Amino acid sequence: MRSRSVQLSSSPLLTSKTPVWRSQLIVATIALAFAALAVRAAYVQVIDNAFFKRQGEVRFARTLELPANRGRILDRNGLLLATSVPAPSIWANPEDMERDPEKLRQLARLLGVLPADLEKKLANEDKTFVWLKRQLDESVAKEILALDIKGVYTIKEYKRLYPEGEAAAHVVGFTNVEDVGQEGMELVFQKQLAGRSGSRRVIKDRLGRVVEDIGEAVLPVDGVDLQLSIDNKVQFFAYQKLRDAVLEHKAKAGSVVVLDAQTGEVLALANYPSYSPDKRVNLSGEQLRNRALTDTFEPGSTMKPLVISQALEKGIVRPESRIETAPGRLTISGSTISDAHPQGTLTVSEVIQKSSNIGTVKIAMQMQPKDMWEIFTQVGFGQKPQIPFPGVVSGKLRPYKTWRPIEQATMSYGYGLSTSLFQLARSYTVFSHDGEVIPASLMKIENPSVTSGARVISAEHALAVRKMLNLAAGPGGTAPKAQTVGYSVGGKTGTAHKQEGKGYAGKKYRGFFVGLAPIERPRIIVAVMIDEPSNGRYFGGDVAAPVFSETVQQTLRLMGVQPDMSVKPQTAVQAVEESF
Amino acid sequence: MTRLNLVLLIAVVVSAMYLVHSQYETRRLFVEHEKTLKEAAQLEIALERLTVEQRAQATPLRVARLARDQLQMRNPAPGITQYVTRPGFVREASQ
Repeated sequence: MRSRSVQLSSSPLLTSKTPVWRSQLIVATIALAFAALAVRAAYVQVIDNAFFKRQGEVRFARTLELPANRGRILDRNGLLLATSVPAPSIWANPEDMERDPEKLRQLARLLGVLPADLEKKLANEDKTFVWLKRQLDESVAKEILALDIKGVYTIKEYKRLYPEGEAAAHVVGFTNVEDVGQEGMELVFQKQLAGRSGSRRVIKDRLGRVVEDIGEAVLPVDGVDLQLSIDNKVQFFAYQKLRDAVLEHKAKAGSVVVLDAQTGEVLALANYPSYSPDKRVNLSGEQLRNRALTDTFEPGSTMKPLVISQALEKGIVRPESRIETAPGRLTISGSTISDAHPQGTLTVSEVIQKSSNIGTVKIAMQMQPKDMWEIFTQVGFGQKPQIPFPGVVSGKLRPYKTWRPIEQATMSYGYGLSTSLFQLARSYTVFSHDGEVIPASLMKIENPSVTSGARVISAEHALAVRKMLNLAAGPGGTAPKAQTVGYSVGGKTGTAHKQEGKGYAGKKYRGFFVGLAPIERPRIIVAVMIDEPSNGRYFGGDVAAPVFSETVQQTLRLMGVQPDMSVKPQTAVQAVEESF
Repeated sequence: MTRLNLVLLIAVVVSAMYLVHSQYETRRLFVEHEKTLKEAAQLEIALERLTVEQRAQATPLRVARLARDQLQMRNPAPGITQYVTRPGFVREASQ
């Protein structure tokens, strides 16, 4: 092999002479390039830096929302009726999601769905946002994050919890998944409860940790706590007794309202059927309806005490005046009014006690229609109750000028006008509050001693009517089942044919009872309504009065009210026996 | 002159180092503060959750059932209650 090597030192290239301008050109070019860079740097950093500043900020500055806590709903003793706890929601970005079958199976198990269903949700890879599950338990969300699947994220959300469950559902209401009130107090006070969320601007590092604040944060304003007038124990007992009665009488529905007789505060308001506000699935309108406020019915005999009180007030009768009710039938302009059981001559007190239609009509027909209309209006019929609640109805009361005599007669025993159970309960404050009708309140009243109402009848006549109501709930009255142990009660039963279309439904009734206790100085008013009892008995005295009795018994005990009637002590007897 | 320059140079370097250090401290403390705030929020949430749980465990229904079934208690009726009036205590009802 022959090599042709050339000595480097003797390279002909080195011997040639380089012209000076070449090196100068290179130096000049490099200098120019540096100058260009300097100009550009000055431009970027000094002259037109806004764009880059903004771009930089986009990459590390973030605005964080500071959510406000939704206010709680409390009962009158400060016990929780509704509160919010965090419940993270899981979402995925199908476009860039990791699809490891094993991890997906675990994810499906934690979410509590079938793997196939999960696949279906994630099938569309064009989407960039899919909810996997909303409002999970925090522990489950942590486990899901621990799986560390790319493209699966959590969002902090809040879930509303209702420890009292279905008993208080209609009053408290509920929120939707976006934490916006949908029913009840949650809806009415949405604005106050929700508060106002704040925000802060921060710098985040590469790993997403907040490293610095920029500027002042706007602090969130938490929602205010709402304290209702509801007493959770009273509410629970009332609901329980109502539910038992509705089931026992195979009724369609029922409602109960308990008012503080001196302040007008609503201690309990319950309806059955109800629902569990935490787990709302397949809810029907029947369950959601707050019947005590939204359903009206003809109040029947419960109107008689109001008519009689006005008659006393106008000096038409006195409690011991005698009214002839024989032979139990009365014809007014062609229509016949009758009593279920014909009575002889009754005093006014006995008219209430026996619930005589004839007696009431005879007294009512001596009154001006205007006077009757006045008492009905003054106690709140035909007007919406002044309480904030969705769907509150006003009931129906026609102007007295359009009344025909027969209508005045039927209205005196509660037909031809309509009312909700709530209005009915509130109207009886005229008797409990010594002749003054007081406004009802769903909010706790901080200073109950200043409660005053509009005077309708004199205190003396209010007491007289209370005594008549006491007779009605006693032996020989229409509702002896309303009696309690130790407490004197008074009240009026009502049984009304249900209206359907233009006429009355054949075998459909509502039984109701409204009353107060104790008689001398009433503390509570309880109104009970049982809708379509169909287990044989349907009279208010049979179906509604027992609920009244049990509710009164429990409520007065819870309020620490001393019995006003003598009670045969039961323990003393045993104690004596044992000591021998 | 050179000496002064040297001193100034050292001063600048030291203050620069200190600036770096204090910036680092700021971030570290900030992160710690953040963490503590988060922990406080979490504890608050835990408290709320536990309160709810306590309420759920103490519903009148459950209390009544436990009292009746496990402790063989019954509702106090006026017949088995001795009412006493505290002297000098004005009851709400008698105002």
